[in-house]
Amino acid sequence: MKLVLPPRVGPKAFDAALTAFAGVVGKEWVMAGDADRDAYSDIYAPGPADQWPASAAVAPGSVEEVQAIVRLANQHTIPLWPVSRGKNLGYGTAAPRMAGSVVLDLGRMNRIIDIDARLATCVLEPGVSFFDLYEAVQREKLPLWLSVPGNAWGSVLGNAFEHGIGYTPYGLHARNLCGFEVVLPDGDLVRTGMGAMSGNHAWHLHPMSFGPTFDLAFTQSSLGVVTRAGLWMQPAPAASLELVFDIPNEDDIGWVIDTIAPLKIAGTIDQNVFVPSWLGKMVLKGQRHDFWDKPGAIPEWRVKELLAQYKLGYWQVALRLYGEEPVIRAKADVVRAAMARHLSAPPAEHWWHAGDPMNAMDTTMGVPSAAPLQMSDWVGGRGAHMGFSPVVPATAEHVMGQLKRSRAIIAAHDVDFYASFTIGGRFATNINMLMYDRDKPDQVANMKRLFSALIGETAKAGYGEYRTHLGWMDTVMDTYDFNNHALRRLNEKIKDALDPNGILAPGKQGVWPSAMRDQAKAGRV
Amino acid sequence: MKHSIARWALGAALLAPAAQVLADPPPLPPYQMRAPAPAGNRLSPGRDGKALFENHCGYCHLAAGMGTNLLVKQRLAAGAGPATALLANRDDLTAAYVHAVVRMGKGAMPPQTRVDATDSELDSVAAYLGRGK
Ligand SMILES: Cc1cc2nc3c(=O)[nH]c(=O)nc-3n(C[C@H](O)[C@H](O)[C@H](O)COP(=O)(O)OP(=O)(O)OC[C@H]3O[C@@H](n4cnc5c(N)ncnc54)[C@H](O)[C@@H]3O)c2cc1C
Repeated sequence: MKLVLPPRVGPKAFDAALTAFAGVVGKEWVMAGDADRDAYSDIYAPGPADQWPASAAVAPGSVEEVQAIVRLANQHTIPLWPVSRGKNLGYGTAAPRMAGSVVLDLGRMNRIIDIDARLATCVLEPGVSFFDLYEAVQREKLPLWLSVPGNAWGSVLGNAFEHGIGYTPYGLHARNLCGFEVVLPDGDLVRTGMGAMSGNHAWHLHPMSFGPTFDLAFTQSSLGVVTRAGLWMQPAPAASLELVFDIPNEDDIGWVIDTIAPLKIAGTIDQNVFVPSWLGKMVLKGQRHDFWDKPGAIPEWRVKELLAQYKLGYWQVALRLYGEEPVIRAKADVVRAAMARHLSAPPAEHWWHAGDPMNAMDTTMGVPSAAPLQMSDWVGGRGAHMGFSPVVPATAEHVMGQLKRSRAIIAAHDVDFYASFTIGGRFATNINMLMYDRDKPDQVANMKRLFSALIGETAKAGYGEYRTHLGWMDTVMDTYDFNNHALRRLNEKIKDALDPNGILAPGKQGVWPSAMRDQAKAGRV
Repeated sequence: MKHSIARWALGAALLAPAAQVLADPPPLPPYQMRAPAPAGNRLSPGRDGKALFENHCGYCHLAAGMGTNLLVKQRLAAGAGPATALLANRDDLTAAYVHAVVRMGKGAMPPQTRVDATDSELDSVAAYLGRGK
């Protein structure tokens, strides 16, 4: 990829900065070739990847090296974009929001510092992948389970820092974080929570600080580089039962939400319940052209045919219960009875007991897999997707409203509808998968228009996205508009106080330091 | 071992998007553990290529991995057996080809950073996959 230098940094000054970085990490860990820039680009970018170009990447191997790099970045005014493993596919991968930023790749810092099976916690560095942690647990035969995202190629901490979600009782990943170590934008080192006391034994157990609690101020944030964090894990259950309900009609999602959310809030169901629409199953059965060979959206009549032919419901609820077998049996009776009020077909049931094998791919059991990335093959070519991800209250009115609104907008753009609602308790996260071939400019342009329309209309109706792609971070931050954008103004005040040179992740989530605010217009879609 | 992988790969052939469309994907095999990263400096040459392959490429290129699944389709189209979707079973790879694909990407496979695999690690992996050529 072509080289774009950071703002106001000339070629000579840039070289001097890289040489200074190399003095800290060694020249092999300063990666500034064309292939390096490509490797750190957004491989799912809507259109060309050079819309969000990194100038280079640097990979420190220790906290001290992170501190030294951050200090040098201040001296040389080089913006840094921290990533843990940088596999944020659908939201920008490892690419930075601001052109010319240097990716601070923490992938080398991949020590599992501690796993405590008694209290079900671990302490990780950012480079630890879901696979690394899963395998460490298996090797030691520890009675612990993970919660993993659909694409588990990335980092346990990176995903949680981005407020990622999984499909187990521990599926709200940022909620599992407890006690951080953070390099601040001036290179200072701070430990949050009980860790603020040297040698404190409860750092990763008690989730609050003495005074204001800062942990989550460092997630989806540009206020620091997290170098380690504690994470609560699920104790391995003795047994588990999966109940699979096929839900026939689109509008059934209303009663599904009103049935499951109260059970989740009450604790009968403790999992994050994932409810995908039919296309989630079809992408495993073939490629799009196997089912519909025209470029526009698959028409309603053809959808009806496909559902009948493949015996699919419009939605599927694959609900999982965890724990001691008698408790699961009692809970399953409650769930079956609640669902039976609306659905005559009984669920398919699959028991698992400790010691039974697990599939290579089961997100509801915390088994990491990257195989869902195959989904990009559905559209063919250099397939990719973006996720439009608003959060709505977990009631029929709100979910139906969201469904109908986004359905209509997506249909108006002649795009296939593929959505899921993940019931997290009092709210549901609605992920709309928008798939495209990166090499079809018309398709990409249409997707961009669609994405912007979805954000605008959804905000007008009173709902916001929990996370978004680089190109829309400012647009989404704009939708959080209470009292003349008081949240952004607060963010900016804090940002400027902690990072006067604006060197850390400028533009992350639409928060711009004053030193770089003149760059805020570029890179927006 | 090889036998069971071959049998699984046949299942994956059906799972893989292809002209034929499948009603129910076959059951998946159990999770396959990767080898731990071999000891030693990541920048030093001569570390165990097989272990490095599993550890760094195993996210996608072991049984039921994304790369394996997509390669089943390509291998069948090329008239080869589905077991050759597992890169470790290939006898037609060259070190130079492995280098090119890892650094430049191919199809759904993105280019890998030098933190994903260092140049020395890639040399070892390429020598392992291109062994005997
Ligand atoms: C098919 C498919 C399915 C997916 N399914 C899911 C899913 O079910 N759930 C889900 O959540 N996501 C999902 N994703 C999105 C994404 O791939 C994952 O969330 C992935 O885990 C993110 O990459 P990562 O873990 O490497 O995080 P990173 O890319 O390393 O980090 C994400 C962001 O967090 C911040 N950050 C990271 N590390 C630090 C640090 N040390 N200090 C400060 N800030 C930091 C940065 O802003 C960074 O950009 C899916 C993607 C695809 C393509």
